[in-house]
Order: sequence, then C-alpha cells, then structure tokens
Amino acid sequence: MRNSLLIILVIAVLISTLGVLSIFSSTYQREGRAWQTIYQRQILWIILGLFLFFLVANINYRRFWDWTYLLYILTFFFLLLVLLLGSVRLGAQRWLRFGWFNFQPSELAKLVMTIFFARYFSCKSIDDVSLLSGRFGVFRGLALPFFFTAIPMGLIIEQPDLGTGMVLLFLFVFMLYLTNVKLRYIIILSVLVILLMPFMWYLLRDYQKDRLMVFLNPNIDPLGAGYTVIQSKIAIGSGGFLGKGWLLGTQSQLRFLPESHTDFIFATFSEEWGLLGGAGLLFLYYLLIRQSFLIAQRTQDYFGRLMALGISLMLSIQVIINVAMNIGVAPIVGISLPLMSYGGSSVFVTFIALGILVNIDKTRAVF
Amino acid sequence: MIRIKIIIWLVILMFLFLLLGLFNLEVIHGRKYREIGDRNCIRLLGQRGSRGKILDREGRVIADSRLSYDLMIVPQDSIQRDKIILRASRVLGKSVGDLKSAFKRGYVSSSMPVIVARNLELRQAIALDELRVDFSAIIVQPNPIRHYPNPKLTSHVLGYLGEIDHWRLTKLEDYGYKTKDVVGFGGVEEKYDYYLREEEGGMSFQVDHRGRFIRTLGFKPPSNGRDIQLTLDIKAQKIAEEAIGDRKGCVIIMDPYSAEIIALVSSPGFSEDDFLSQDNAAISRLLKDPNSPLINRAISSAYPIGSLFKVVVATAGLETKKINSNTSFLCQGSIMVGGQEFKCWNTHGPQNLIAAITHSCNVFFYKTGLLVGAQAIHDYALKLGLSRPTSFELPYEASGFIPSPLWRKINKFKNWFDGDTVNLSIGQGDVLITPLQVTRMMAIFANGGYLVTPCITKSIDGRDMLRYHKKPEKLNLKPNTINYIREGLKGVVNEPDGTGTILSGLGITVAGKTGTAQASPGQPHAWFSGFFPFKNPKFVICVFLEHGGPGYYSCVLAKQIIERMIREGLI
Repeated sequence: MRNSLLIILVIAVLISTLGVLSIFSSTYQREGRAWQTIYQRQILWIILGLFLFFLVANINYRRFWDWTYLLYILTFFFLLLVLLLGSVRLGAQRWLRFGWFNFQPSELAKLVMTIFFARYFSCKSIDDVSLLSGRFGVFRGLALPFFFTAIPMGLIIEQPDLGTGMVLLFLFVFMLYLTNVKLRYIIILSVLVILLMPFMWYLLRDYQKDRLMVFLNPNIDPLGAGYTVIQSKIAIGSGGFLGKGWLLGTQSQLRFLPESHTDFIFATFSEEWGLLGGAGLLFLYYLLIRQSFLIAQRTQDYFGRLMALGISLMLSIQVIINVAMNIGVAPIVGISLPLMSYGGSSVFVTFIALGILVNIDKTRAVF
Repeated sequence: MIRIKIIIWLVILMFLFLLLGLFNLEVIHGRKYREIGDRNCIRLLGQRGSRGKILDREGRVIADSRLSYDLMIVPQDSIQRDKIILRASRVLGKSVGDLKSAFKRGYVSSSMPVIVARNLELRQAIALDELRVDFSAIIVQPNPIRHYPNPKLTSHVLGYLGEIDHWRLTKLEDYGYKTKDVVGFGGVEEKYDYYLREEEGGMSFQVDHRGRFIRTLGFKPPSNGRDIQLTLDIKAQKIAEEAIGDRKGCVIIMDPYSAEIIALVSSPGFSEDDFLSQDNAAISRLLKDPNSPLINRAISSAYPIGSLFKVVVATAGLETKKINSNTSFLCQGSIMVGGQEFKCWNTHGPQNLIAAITHSCNVFFYKTGLLVGAQAIHDYALKLGLSRPTSFELPYEASGFIPSPLWRKINKFKNWFDGDTVNLSIGQGDVLITPLQVTRMMAIFANGGYLVTPCITKSIDGRDMLRYHKKPEKLNLKPNTINYIREGLKGVVNEPDGTGTILSGLGITVAGKTGTAQASPGQPHAWFSGFFPFKNPKFVICVFLEHGGPGYYSCVLAKQIIERMIREGLI
C-alpha cells in the first residue's frame, strides 16, 4: 500500500523537521563549531535515515525472520563491546566509535528485540501449522523469552542506561500480552517484577536512586539531581499557551536546561511553541503510532503483525516515557524522543523500524 | 484482537494523560513558571543617583553627595573569588576572613554581584579596578553617598540617613519605597525625604546558566534627588554651635517677621556619618548616652521656662485690664497666699509693670496673676502660641503644656488653689514649653503682635516654598500692651539693675527676658529669649541651657553669639 508509506513518510519528516528546528534553536548560541553545526549533522542523519527507510521498505520483511538470530548475536556482541571499550560520555558508557560516527547499540537492541519477540512467538507447529505460542508452558512461554530479554537488558542497565533497559522490559511484557501466551503467565511475570522491585533498589546506582527520589520530590535537591526536572518544568511551563516563539526560548538557549537537544528536546520545543505546539507534536506522534497499529491490525501474517505491534509499542513506550519525564510525571531515565532528539543511532533505528512497517503493509497481500 | 484494542486504548489514554499534564504546566501554572523562567535569566544591576543637596539660605552646601566606591565580586568562579579576596585584602588592609564572611553574608545567587567592602577611598578603588585586567569577576561600583562638609553642625535640623525600618516601610510602601532603601530619620531629611530621594536606575540584562552576561535588555539612568534650600544661615549656625560648645541646651535664631529660622542648634549633637557608615558601636553609644544627643531640644522636648512666663502674665493682665502702666505693687520680698509664703528673689519695693519685668519681680506677678486668674493666664498663654505645636516643618515637635483649673479638675480630680495660680504666674508648676514656642512668643513682641509659624525651607528644587508658608496671624493685642512689654524687655537688658544687663553695650540695643526655671534634681534651666535690634528687630533669639544654672548663663551665651554676629556682619 503506497498510502501508508506516504502517511508515515510525511509524519516522520514533519516531526524530524520540528526536531531540527528545536536542535538549532537550543544550540545556535553556543560557542564552538561543533555546537553551531550540530543541526546540520542531524539533517544528515535524517537524510541517511530516509535512505535507510526506503531501503528497508523494499526489503521483504520476512527476511528478518531468517536474520533474527544473526541480529540478536550481533547486538549482543555490540553491547558486550560497549562494556569493554565503549566511549564514556556523561558518566555512561553507551557509545561505540565507528570512525566519525558514534554508534549507540542500545538503540539497535530495541528494534532487534522486537524482531526477536515477533519471531519467537510466531513459530508454528510443524504438524498443523497452528501457532505454538498458545500451547507454550511456563518455560517456553515465560522463562526462556525472559532469559533472552534479560541478556541485552542486563548489559544495557550495566552501561548504565536504566531507561533503555526498562524499555526492553516493558516491550517484553506488552509483547507477551499481545501474543497467544496464556494470560496467567503475564500475571505471574508482573507479580514477580513487582515483588522484585524492592530488591532492585539495592542494585541501582546512587545517581539512579537520587533520580527516583527527586522524581518523588524534585525540591529535595534543586541544584543536583532535581535540577533537570525543575528546569524542564520551568521551560515547558513558561511557554504558556502560544509559546515564546522560535529562537526565543530562554531556558534552552541560555542553557538552564541540560540535555536540551537530546532527552529534553520536548521541553525545548514546548517552551518555544507553547501548548499549541506541544499538543500538535503529541498529535503527530499519535497519528504515527495509530498508523502503525492499523498496519498491525490489517496484517494477516502473524510474524508481520507481531513485528508491527512491537514497533508500535517501541515508539509508544519511548514517546510516552520521554514526554512524561519532560513534564515531570516520570523519573528521569535516558530515553530519547524518537525522531526529535539529536542522535544518529536513534534516528536510524526509528527510520528502519518505520521502513519495516511500510514493508509489512506492502507485502501482506502475498499471503 | 481484543488484546490489541486494549493496548491501543491504553496508548490513547496515556497520550491524553500527557496532554493533560502539558495543559496543567503551560496553562494552569504557566504564569508561575514564566516568572521563574524570567528570574532564571534576567538580572538587575541597580545604579543609584545622588540624593538632593541641602543648602543654606545663601546657597552654601550643608549636605551634598560624594562618590564612594564599593567592591563587588561576581561569584561565579570560586577559584577567582579566593584570589580576588586575597589581593583585595592586601589593598584594603582587611583580613581575608573578614572579606570572606562579608561575601558569605551578602551572597544571594551565583550571578548577583556581592558587595564585599563599602566606602572605599579613591586610591583603593583605583588599585582594585586595576585588578580587573586579571580578574573579570571584580566590579568597583561608584556609589553616591551623603557627605557633610561640616559634620555635626546641623545634625538636628538635617536628621540622619539610615536603612528604612519596618514601621516606615509599611507607611511608605505605596510611594515606591522598598526594603533596604536609605531614608531620612528626623529633621529635613525625613520631612522632605520624598523630594530629596534619588530615583534608582539600573540595567536589566540576560545571563546564561552560569550567570554569564548575554545581552542588555534595558537601561534606565538614575535620577538625582531634588535640592532643598533652607533658611538657615550657615555662619550664624556655626556661631551658635561654637558658642554653646558641648553644653546641653539649644539656640534658636529666627526672623521675627517672616519666621525663617536662621540658626537652630541643639546640643549635644551627633555625627550623621555614624549612621551612614552603620557604625553600630557609635550608634549604640549615641542611643545610650544619658545626655540624649538624638533629641532635638529646640522642638522635641518641653521644659519649664520660669520667669520668661511673666511675659504671658503681663500680656494677660494688660489685655484683661486688670493692670495698666500705672499699676504698682509693693515687693517686700515675699507674699503670703493661702497660708503659704511665696518668695521673691529680692526685695524690690514698689514696682510698676516695666520695672517688674526689668527686675523680674516675682511679687508683682504673683499679685497680677491672682488678679487675672489662672484660667485667663492659660487662655492667653494659648493665644501666644504655647501648649500646642507651632506647625513647624520638622517632625517630632512637642506640644508643651500649660495647666489650667479646668484641666486639673477633669484630669486630676483636684481643685485649683490660689497657690497654684501664684506658681503659674512665674512659670513654675506644670508649665512645659519648647524653646521654639518661646522664640515664637518673643517674635510677637518683636514684630508688633503677629503670631508667626516658624519655617526652615526656602525652596525645593528652585521653587520658592516661602510663598506657600502660613501667613502671620494678627493677635489683636492692644498696641499699648505690646509697647509696655517691649519697654520692660528693653529694661531687662538696658537698665543697670536689669537681669540681663550683661547684654547691654553691644553696639545694638537688645531686648529680652531671662528665665531661671527650677528643675530639680540639679541646676535650674537657664533661659534667655529676646530680639534685636530693638527699634527694627531683625532677629529673635532663644538660648536655653538644660540644667545650665541661672538665666544669667544664657545671657552670657547670647552675648557671645550676638557679638560674633555683629563682628561677622550678619546684623
């Protein structure tokens, strides 16, 4: 269907453009060439991303079925590499240097896990071509997939990147819910996770504990861990209904707001474009996610449907958590806003995911 | 499929929730966050104008402003800060600890410059300014402060400057006063603070997250306060000041017709600079001083005036026709009233009115007082402007007090006896009068029967204030009353046996009356009030020495003042 390609393309380009505008606005006043040209690099990522989008849109998505384990092992390898020789930035070890490109394998992990779940739960019985997942027991339906999730998740949390790790966990839980796996397994998993929560506290690093504490009350440490969320709320709040206007946001441009071009780009955007802009942006995301769910619902192939659902979930989880932490209703975890936040890995992965979606919609008629 | 629907609805719900959160932040609390955001990045740097000058009648400066310099440090860089403090301590000769604690006390936020040292000398300011080459965080801010070319000279007329107190702030908030404003306390500085007060200017600028300057948003130049010209003659003021020395008391010299105050000295005075430099030790010393140097004795406190009150009794007697110029009483040194003996200070023999004033004969006035009656004396005292404020411009004027039978009946439930009338006739008892009221009363006999309102402001910002001044009020005294009393006052000085004869032979004729008011414990108050030259009076003078002894001492003081005024050509 050419239709869904056009819709997805237009929405993605629109969101990316708003992202470039916000990145420009928050960085153009900073000193140094690197800052001045950062928006140009984002444009480059987007162009390359669009290229990948069209490329993937023309690769039959069934190929991913075959590549699943290869991709999984590759991701595992990258994540391991990050831990061993990744570059340390902002106190975390998340990037791998490939010449001039800093690659963030955890972004890739999200997509690869989506593909992995899709394949795992859409295996069919050799006897009657029915889905196996409905007959899975506790081990195959819960323990084994959780084990496969836990490996990349553990590596990512160890970076440390709690946010992306949690995204993987959420992805797993919701994917499980969307397959034929018995509901009681999901309940068991949820109960287990909730029971383990208090013990998880001791595994968290100090700064992560601080962030969770300031989420409950940002004012306990206004200049330390609470600073970001306070400044972010000020940025969004001071935008008002119409916003301060493009290039006129003081919070982001005068650098009161940290990470104003990456994780907190939503605050930067909302400060300058106000409620009108913020709501508009949310609506664009909603349209994108809705389109993705529609594709999933239209698709008859179970593997394709699960992949589309996974991509929808991946986008939804990231957008919702990122915006929620921007407006101060979720703890601060390092999750970027797809297509808006600066960063090549995130842009590439998102565009590839969208490309897969388009291809699923295009090729469903085959079956 | 049902599970997909549930998930989709969950996503929609989450999006609506985010929208709600966005609405809550941007619309419901938008104004609050906008303010906080502005506070984040907008800084104000005030620049003060200079307070209006205070000039004397000839335009000579009594108080003006000079530039002082404050050392400020922008606290963004703590390493630089410590280095600056180290260097500054060498220049200023202060210890590093002092400067550091001053910095800590003044610290507001990381981008607001902190005043570390105030009132630097020019030499120090230049030396510190040179450090700017190495340290960008140093600011030497010029700041106009009050300067008194003649410290202590006019302290009570001017009052002093200090940080606004809570009580004044609640009253003056609506007129644009803010906490930490410097305002006048007492005297002209307080009365005309609104005119004298400078308007603060300054600039607002934008800073980034580290407090670094980004751009100027606006600048408002400060405007200076308005100048005030007083009617004081700084020469006469100086003469009076030097004459009284460090004795307790006050001197007032006034023009009897226009009621312009030429000199007003209250002693002991205080140094206005102590308040300006916030020298707490000096201020508490002033507050604790048993001589109360902060009280303006000329207007703010009332005293018994003794024989000076005889002028009132004489006026009452003449006006009520109980006595006339031919009335004569025999002074035998004392008089018996109600079984009690009231003494005169001498045995004067037969006395008529003029002689009685000249000799300050008590017996004559005892008898006159008894004839006139206490209530009439009280009424005439009020007519002559006693027992109520004179509506003088300076704040904190006392009203004084004259007792009367009616007052005593109502307030003390006691009867008034003839003995009380006798006491009242020579100004003893509960009589309380401010030196300014005495001056004004004396002016009535100098200017031929007009009650004037003393004033001290000649012009504000070049506008003539005397035009708005209350016109003298004609008292409708009989011309003879005034003439007789004038003759008596002239006799006091010019008759060889007058009580103020020491003032004769100055080259001009002085008329006046002495007063020795019993004020136990301690010495009596010494009073002299008069006017000169006798024919065409140019000045009324009142000299008061608190517990200064007999009136004679005040006469001596008055003599010194008048002599010097003649010598310096002021008359």
